Amino acid sequence: MSINEKFTAIRKGLLEFLVLKIIAADKVYAADILSQLGSTEFATQEGTLYPLLSKMRREELVDYQWKESEAGPPRKYYQLTAKGREQLRETSEYWQKISGTVRSLGQDTGQ
Amino acid sequence: MNKVITINLNGNAYQLEEDGYEALRSYLEAAARRLEGNPDRDEIIADIEQAIADKFRAVLGANKTVVVSKEVRDVIAQMGPVQDDSGPGGEAGASKAPGAPGAAKDGPAAAGGSATGSPKRLYRIREGAQLAGVCNGLAVYLGVDVTLLRILFAFSVLSFGAGVLLYIVMMFVIPPANTPDEVAAAHGAPATAEEFIKRAKEGYYAFGDKRAFREWKWKFKQDMRQRRQEMRESAWAWRWGWHPHGAKNPDPHPGFWFVGSSAGIVLSILSILCVISVITLITTGTVFGFYLPWGMPLWAQIVVVILLFKLLKGPVRAMRYGAYYGGCGGSPFVGAFVHFCTQLGWLLLLFLFLWYADHHSSTAHDILGHLRSAAHHTVDAIREWWSQQ
Repeated sequence: MSINEKFTAIRKGLLEFLVLKIIAADKVYAADILSQLGSTEFATQEGTLYPLLSKMRREELVDYQWKESEAGPPRKYYQLTAKGREQLRETSEYWQKISGTVRSLGQDTGQ
Repeated sequence: MNKVITINLNGNAYQLEEDGYEALRSYLEAAARRLEGNPDRDEIIADIEQAIADKFRAVLGANKTVVVSKEVRDVIAQMGPVQDDSGPGGEAGASKAPGAPGAAKDGPAAAGGSATGSPKRLYRIREGAQLAGVCNGLAVYLGVDVTLLRILFAFSVLSFGAGVLLYIVMMFVIPPANTPDEVAAAHGAPATAEEFIKRAKEGYYAFGDKRAFREWKWKFKQDMRQRRQEMRESAWAWRWGWHPHGAKNPDPHPGFWFVGSSAGIVLSILSILCVISVITLITTGTVFGFYLPWGMPLWAQIVVVILLFKLLKGPVRAMRYGAYYGGCGGSPFVGAFVHFCTQLGWLLLLFLFLWYADHHSSTAHDILGHLRSAAHHTVDAIREWWSQQ
């Protein structure tokens, strides 16, 4: 089993967190999110992202507005709701804790 | 010339080649199935259609108005399978492991594609093979130890000679596993009873009518029981001087007994001779000092030798059967003739098949060539082992 496979579940679990981060930074539409994730280990396809976005909207973490685009039909631009920002803050904190634990554990025993 | 189909994706018209249209339709249908029960199903499907439309627009231009099948497939590959982890309640997070309710919901559809769920297939596995990998592949397929199968084969060669022919036939019939995918398919899902039951439940085995299947099984068992019974009875009759097998001929001529027994002895001697000649043929290239004509490859020589012995044995065996039938009150000639004809016909068919395969299929030719060198290697290995003893 490769590292890549081992971390499938973890990557999947972190995806929502990352999407929250991306949307928090700027108003984006789905293709923007995909292209930002595309260059990372979290590269994702539409087939996964769209159901996730719709779930996040149902949980009222994100909201969208239709906006005209220069070329083609109008697009859904996503933004965070108050609840979404709260969730992002909590998740970030929790992530800090986890990564702190991951960093410190081995070193504690080493010293 | 390809047929073009015009479709409406989220309000925009696109022209697709027919194959591409079929691929897209099945993709969207699978997506809709996956999203069964999702309150936002229609919206997600609309988003996905829109994304596909955007990608189609990117490949079309002023002079290109049709999306060809390959482009459709590429776009579908980019989109990726639709995965819905949320479920109807929307409570569960995205961290749910793959294969949880979402995947289980449409079990049969999901089972078709993935490597773990795919049905096991029989392949020859050349890696670690002694000859052509028939035993190797069979062992993996049946989930038994390969050495056991090899011993069984070796034993069948010694006792009947049919093992060699069976092996050769399987060599042609069973495809080799060349790509990693095929090797994976050869190992496939375990062929355990559990798996069998699971597949049977999924309707994997198309015995449409359960009652018909049960009836068939029952009848098969009955047949087998009856045949065993008959065999036991005839063996009994044979041993006790053909006391009435239907009481037709209570007092058989003693000549029948003599012919039957001596034919049996001759048959055993011929069988042993056959094995010895094949071994000498492989080791020295001659059969008791005789070269076989026509410059045939070694494999063909082996087949010819075995066939020759079969033919020699044919009449003797026919005599024995004749004696048996005669002893039991039937006509000795009918029994002998029928047996002889079946044997001959079967062997001729096999020989023709091998000959045809060698001349008309380059793969078969290569395999047979491979068998030859493999046989040499095996014999060398055995000799080396012998000299070390």
